[in-house]
Amino acid sequence: MPEDKIIEVKKIKKVCRDKTILDIDQFSVLKNKFNFIIGGNGSGKTSLLNILSLVDQDYQGELFYKGRLVKKDQQNLELRRKLSVIWQDPYLYRGNVFYNIALPLKLRDIDQEIINKKVKEIASRLEITDLLEQSAHTLSGGERQKTSIARALISDPEILFVDEATTNLDEESIQFFNSHFADLVTDEMTVVMVSHDRRQIKQLADQITLLKAGEVEITKAINNFNFELFGAGIESPIAELV
Amino acid sequence: MDYYTDAIIRALQLIINLDPEVIQVVTTSLKISISSTLIASIISIPLAILIARNKFKSKKFINIILNTLLSLPTVVIGIFVYSLISRRGVLGELDLLFTPIGIIMGQVILIIPLITALIRNVIFSMDEKLYKTATSMGASRSQKFKLLILEARYGIIGAVIAGFGRVLGEIGVSMMLGGNIKGVTRTITTAMSLETNKGRFAFALALGIILLSLSFLINFVTYFLQEGKNYARR
Repeated sequence: MPEDKIIEVKKIKKVCRDKTILDIDQFSVLKNKFNFIIGGNGSGKTSLLNILSLVDQDYQGELFYKGRLVKKDQQNLELRRKLSVIWQDPYLYRGNVFYNIALPLKLRDIDQEIINKKVKEIASRLEITDLLEQSAHTLSGGERQKTSIARALISDPEILFVDEATTNLDEESIQFFNSHFADLVTDEMTVVMVSHDRRQIKQLADQITLLKAGEVEITKAINNFNFELFGAGIESPIAELV
Repeated sequence: MDYYTDAIIRALQLIINLDPEVIQVVTTSLKISISSTLIASIISIPLAILIARNKFKSKKFINIILNTLLSLPTVVIGIFVYSLISRRGVLGELDLLFTPIGIIMGQVILIIPLITALIRNVIFSMDEKLYKTATSMGASRSQKFKLLILEARYGIIGAVIAGFGRVLGEIGVSMMLGGNIKGVTRTITTAMSLETNKGRFAFALALGIILLSLSFLINFVTYFLQEGKNYARR
């Protein structure tokens, strides 16, 4: 496997209640790139993201991390701790914002002083320092998403998965996300994004994959993409993106 | 009417003066009930999570059995455990009949279905995103279990308290397996039954007032934990 593929899946099939929701022959995630997955409702974007992020290990087929087969019957804890996910509708645990952001580091038994320092640092970058002591259940949609972004980034993941992070947000929060997200991601990070936001795709995408009815319709780098072929799941022609 | 007024006044005096006999009965009752609840909880919490979170063939059957056991009469459990621990029973050599351990055994069997069913419902109703998020944060199996317990803590505590309330107020198991021995197995309910028959109405009433107060306290705490929190959030 070439060096630039950090994750590759082969002959992946996901069946749910006798219905095939994902059937992909081959798909790769490029290392240190922004990999976008797009497609219409029910095209299998989130299902694919769940498999790539090891959140779902109940599927047929093979997943390789840096060329090494990832066994589905194991916890894969070491690998999972290199990954992070930002969800469309994030789940925040009982407790305050600080607790939620610190959780991934607590799970890794990181020293409390380091946790305190890192939480303050990431909260400052996301402009939520004032919310750290606030109960997570009292936050607005935008504040919840910022908290979940901070939680996903605090462990410095090697691969960051983003599942339609801005779909449920107001315009102000979307603008904050779009203007800050690229700065929050380091050069060493690989990003896999499910998104419909044309601004995000235009600004960030290195590779775009279009899913249709659970299958990969096309995967291309953004600068030589055949826009004519691209349209499902996106209302406007893809030409508007560039 | 004077009979009732007089009995109530004397009952309150017994409570206020911390009558040693009343205290002994209440203490015995609480010791046995707390022990039963703790043992039942240790078994029920993992069992409930196992049933709620896992897919297996006999799951429907187990749920039906569990729901059936919820309405099992205490005397039936009494007979069952009696057959095990009486002299001719399988555990007869252990001499557990008419001991606090005998009552605890019966009470544990009585409330395991109740606590398990309540916690199963709590776990089952929890957001699936809780598990996905824990996985995506890099939680191990045991860490996911801890996170789940922490998230469901109010519901779990409510279920445990409901189990405690059930054993504190039951009489069938305590009477059949405890034998109502003074200072050893005489609980609030068995003492109330005995003392009423003996004509010590005020004494039985004092225990009744205490039992009612404890029930109120248990229900208040349970309501606050299971409903009050949600109500406050609406």
